[in-house]
Amino acid sequence: MAQHILNAVALGSVYLVFALGMALAWSTIGILNFAHGATFMFSAFTAHVVTQHVALPMPAVVLVAVAAGALIATLTQVLAFGPIMRRATDHRSAELRILIGGIGVAAIPLAIAERVTASAPFGFRGSTYQAQVFEIAGLRMTTTVLVIVVAGIGIGVGVWRWLATSRQGLALRAIGVDSETASLMGVDRSTLALGTMATAGALAGLAGALLTFQLGAIAPASGDQLLIKAFAIVVLGGLGSMGGVIVGAFVLAGAETFVLAMNQGTWVDAVSFGLIFAVLLLRPQGLFGRKEVRRT
Amino acid sequence: MIDWYFSHIVLIQSTLTTLLLALSVQVPLRAGVFSFAGVGCYGIGGYIAAIGMVHYGLSTATAILLAAVAGGVVAYALGLLIQRLTGLYLAMATVAFTLIISVLVVNGGDLTGGAAGLFGALGMLDTGHLLAVAAVVVAALTFTELGPLGRRVEAVREDPELASAMGINVARYRRATFAVSGVLGGLAGSMTVLLRSTVTPDDINFHLVVLALTIIIVGGSRSWIGALVGTVIFVWMPEMLAFVGEWEDVVYGVLVAAAAVYLPGGVTGAVVDGYRTYRRKRRETADSPPDAPPPQPAAAAVGGDS
Amino acid sequence: MVSGTVEDVGEARDAAATECVLRAADVAVHFGGVKAVDGVSIELTAGRIFGVLGPNGSGKSTLLAALTRLVPLTRGSLEFEGRRYDTVRPHTIAARGVARTFQTVRILPGRTVFDNVALGAESAGSAGKAERSRARQRVRTAIERTGLAGKERHRPDELSYGYQRRVEIARAIASEPTLLLLDEPTAGMNRQERDDITGLLGDLRGEGLTQLLIEHDVQMMVEACDHLFAMNFGELIAGGEPEAVVRHPAVQEAYLGTQGRAHA
Repeated sequence: MAQHILNAVALGSVYLVFALGMALAWSTIGILNFAHGATFMFSAFTAHVVTQHVALPMPAVVLVAVAAGALIATLTQVLAFGPIMRRATDHRSAELRILIGGIGVAAIPLAIAERVTASAPFGFRGSTYQAQVFEIAGLRMTTTVLVIVVAGIGIGVGVWRWLATSRQGLALRAIGVDSETASLMGVDRSTLALGTMATAGALAGLAGALLTFQLGAIAPASGDQLLIKAFAIVVLGGLGSMGGVIVGAFVLAGAETFVLAMNQGTWVDAVSFGLIFAVLLLRPQGLFGRKEVRRT
Repeated sequence: MIDWYFSHIVLIQSTLTTLLLALSVQVPLRAGVFSFAGVGCYGIGGYIAAIGMVHYGLSTATAILLAAVAGGVVAYALGLLIQRLTGLYLAMATVAFTLIISVLVVNGGDLTGGAAGLFGALGMLDTGHLLAVAAVVVAALTFTELGPLGRRVEAVREDPELASAMGINVARYRRATFAVSGVLGGLAGSMTVLLRSTVTPDDINFHLVVLALTIIIVGGSRSWIGALVGTVIFVWMPEMLAFVGEWEDVVYGVLVAAAAVYLPGGVTGAVVDGYRTYRRKRRETADSPPDAPPPQPAAAAVGGDS
Repeated sequence: MVSGTVEDVGEARDAAATECVLRAADVAVHFGGVKAVDGVSIELTAGRIFGVLGPNGSGKSTLLAALTRLVPLTRGSLEFEGRRYDTVRPHTIAARGVARTFQTVRILPGRTVFDNVALGAESAGSAGKAERSRARQRVRTAIERTGLAGKERHRPDELSYGYQRRVEIARAIASEPTLLLLDEPTAGMNRQERDDITGLLGDLRGEGLTQLLIEHDVQMMVEACDHLFAMNFGELIAGGEPEAVVRHPAVQEAYLGTQGRAHA
């Protein structure tokens, strides 16, 4: 039982880091980035390629992935989302075109990674990092899990508090709630959008490195699956609530681990899909979302 | 010509079924309903047709009809359930609905064949049948695009509040688009499966949703012509991009992203806009000599009106 | 609400004699803690032009939204031609013959003037062939009367703001309504255009069309309306003959008061 809980916490931490990036961009600058999953995957892939040539320690591998994620997301913003936001006449068409733009952008890194790896899973075998197994109170635990949980919860709480209390956080939330007021406050929307996207991309990169370390390898196609799970997490927590993302990530991970533990593996995916559906039906604003923040 | 037809028959048939799939997403979108329920009904229709033929020995026509009706009923019921959602939330709820179907059929036991799917559901279908169905669908949709109905659908999309102030029952139009998209999805799914003779849970995936959406956005979302243009582009692209070889998917991604940025109305939208600008220019040059005498103030007054 | 403010001198007799088209009783619309409209009662009798006067933010447009069921009532009742309608959906009351224009121009951007006006003419009818030709006729008449002739094939982005407003009005009258509600129909128009529109409204009254006009332009309202209501802070502060309403101390206060503040 305790082992299952530990697994759920580790899984939830990776979900959290990934979903946090998606929620950050969506709830503040209004970009639901469909290339977030591809960014996640390609960051890990970049680190994989680097470790094939240089034997890096774990922190350096993570750093490479984070930098790659930030770079991909920045490029996405500069080349696709930025131009769309400047050209769109109304919110609805912008939303749709950002969705499509993200889908198009996502296809590019996926195609490159699939071609290089022939769609086979890749990992960080070239890294100098070796996971240590140890036991605490009868729980088998690896250093990888420890790093993931500490990083996940640390960053989750950090982003949540930063957004809630710092000046930049306030500016970001102002844009999410009311872009007109935000511009009156002297917030430069495009600079903030770029910074937010870079941060979101860095989080995707971090999630990619962490998950690859934990699983040993990930497949190029794993980004898409994670994207829908992250959507379920954001919807469950409530758009605009970072605390909600933290709760949502662990609830989803817990539910999936529970379904797996009951030997119902073929139903695991139904958890996130069902969650999306049920939450939207019964409580569209999510657990912690406020109605007025909700974008439609 | 005959040789070309037979060597491309799979592509031709898949163009027609993919067109129906794309229309199942376009019809609701045209009324401002961002729903992928049609893609879920594609899965439902495919499985119903396969189950009907494999387990119950239905005829091809009966299986397809059953699939279309089931798709319409399921989508309509879904529409009733989630009619209060809008925008991305509605989109994702219907994506979730679609993906849940793939999980359901994995766990459907002997009825759905589990993860392996169903085999041996080969229907008596040829390109002529597909063309006939597509023609009927396109004719019916043309009716909803032109004239009074077309205007009302457009009002429901562009400004629902205005539409209701014009006496249009917006909720009813929205529910109707769910039913229509279900029927189209059911048709597309059942015909695809009966052509291929197999269906597996992997056939109902997120990429199908992405494909349907990109077809419409790149082709054009306002008319079935846009869906047709988009379908032709994406079904035939592998063939046309043969020269770029292994980088085909990269080119695909670049094209989709570029269309999102530069072609808000899709390929057809760009063509229509271009034609309109051309016609307006011609009209202005044709109109101005008799209308606007040489003195500048008069010309300025005309300009002020336009 | 009006009681004790302005007496409907000489009008009570007419009102009793003519049929009441719309009756709103104690209508309130609250958004959270904001009382946009609070306890407004009005009666509109057939074949006259009524006006609601008030400074910006006094609740005029919200009142109109409430009368057309576009916002839910917090309290009160609505009656059109003797039938309650405070629970029906907006399209139902529109189909019964209440047409409206919007304060901001709301026309379909991708459609021609003809198509936009046709939207009003057709929604009322069915798809029969005879009905369709009648609808076409209504569209043509509406286009003529609003001075849009010759611009049928133009698209909204080819029209000046004043002409876009005319499309709004044409669309509303093309449905041949029993009651026409106009939200600042002449905003952004020049003097000549404004006179055209008030002339048109007068003609429509001559044909028996009941109208409710919303404006903050006092002079125009006095010229155009048979009966005025004045609103401020969501409540009716006066009602009656235009000249009398404008002279009413509460109305003077609402206008001069806010203007005084604005200048200070």
